[in-house]
Amino acid sequence: MTVLVPISVLGTLIVVLAVRLFVQSGETRQRPAVTVDDYANAREALNSVFLETALINRIFSVEDAEFVARAATPDVACSFFNERKKFALQWFRKIRKEVARLMDLHLRLAGYTYDPSPMFELRLTAKYLSFMLASNIVLLLLWLLGPFKGTRCISYAIHTAGSFCTTFSLRLDQVNPARLLSGSDSWHTDRPV
Amino acid sequence: METHIIWWVGTSLLAVVLIRGAAVGNLRNYPLFYSYIGCVLLKEVVGLLSYQLAPHSYELIYWPTELATIVASYAVIVEIFRKSLRHNRGIARRAQKVLLAAFALTVSYTATALLNGRFATAYSAIAEVSRDLRYMEGALLLVMLWLLVRYRILLGPNLLGLIIGYSFWIGVNVVNFALLFLPGNEFSALPRRLVPITYVATLTIWCVALWSSQPEPAQPTEGAIERDYELLAAKTRSILARTSNRLVRVMKP
Repeated sequence: MTVLVPISVLGTLIVVLAVRLFVQSGETRQRPAVTVDDYANAREALNSVFLETALINRIFSVEDAEFVARAATPDVACSFFNERKKFALQWFRKIRKEVARLMDLHLRLAGYTYDPSPMFELRLTAKYLSFMLASNIVLLLLWLLGPFKGTRCISYAIHTAGSFCTTFSLRLDQVNPARLLSGSDSWHTDRPV
Repeated sequence: METHIIWWVGTSLLAVVLIRGAAVGNLRNYPLFYSYIGCVLLKEVVGLLSYQLAPHSYELIYWPTELATIVASYAVIVEIFRKSLRHNRGIARRAQKVLLAAFALTVSYTATALLNGRFATAYSAIAEVSRDLRYMEGALLLVMLWLLVRYRILLGPNLLGLIIGYSFWIGVNVVNFALLFLPGNEFSALPRRLVPITYVATLTIWCVALWSSQPEPAQPTEGAIERDYELLAAKTRSILARTSNRLVRVMKP
């Protein structure tokens, strides 16, 4: 009976992955191999995350909150807190989407690397997963407490996003762009159809 | 009667897959896969002949022929590996190491088990070796599937159909072996019914997927002037973005 459980898991995983591969192949055929445009977009997305991460600390600035609480009327303070909360939530959702897009691109680009490193893959995946976990917690905290509480968790998530992007940036340098398709190319074949 | 129908349907589908493969040129594209199909067809014909002409000999030849087809089915793994990762040399190199290590592990484990003589009879030895080889084949296939899914490897319709059918067959077969070797479960109705249905379903998938020869995705040739220009543009955009990043950092209070 002890053998049956892992073997059943193995068999089930094979069938599940086969189904996943079938579904994925349909999607990939509509959006074929990585193009030079994708490569350039990844670079842009990466730089934009770096850039925004540097600027976004201002949204969570406690000094701003203290100043408004001290100097503004209750209505203005309330409006300020609501605006900041909305902005912080929007920004975090956007960053999550960007990072997920970068990870997707990384996986699609990984096939073109000269020398894939399992340790590198592991590190990148670990960073991606820790960012996703931290950002889920942050979203909950932002929604419940607003942008000026739980600053340690927020800064950890921002730091993880930056760290993921640094690792991804190193990975992108290993890609051989000469092997990528140009944006106008689509489904290439060995022989004429 | 039901067994006979399944047998006839299965053997006919095997023959159709083989004949269509030869007719449309898939035989040349996937020689190892079609060798496996030929091997299974031969086993089925030998099995039927012995069952009809000398029923006692059927019991004797069942597990040895089963072992032979399981060993032959490893060729399909090699075919999937060769065809799907031929444009992804980095991943192929890594996967090759994993597959070779797993194969060496299987061979050494099987050899040790045989040398230690832990099997009651030669018949049970063959049966258990077949089961272990199937488990290892399942593990290898899982690694291959994971690589294909994770790295979004492009597959042509023929190769995709081959992989889907093979995965379905191995996935169910692995569970079936585990059920069959459970103590007191040797004659269980579920595995005995499951295998023939899966077998016919797999052959149907292969028959449909390999009915005609479909083009495989390939990498474009390098050196196009347009692409060189795009590369240059990509690099320039990247440098501009990096410069603006630094500018913002400098301007920060």
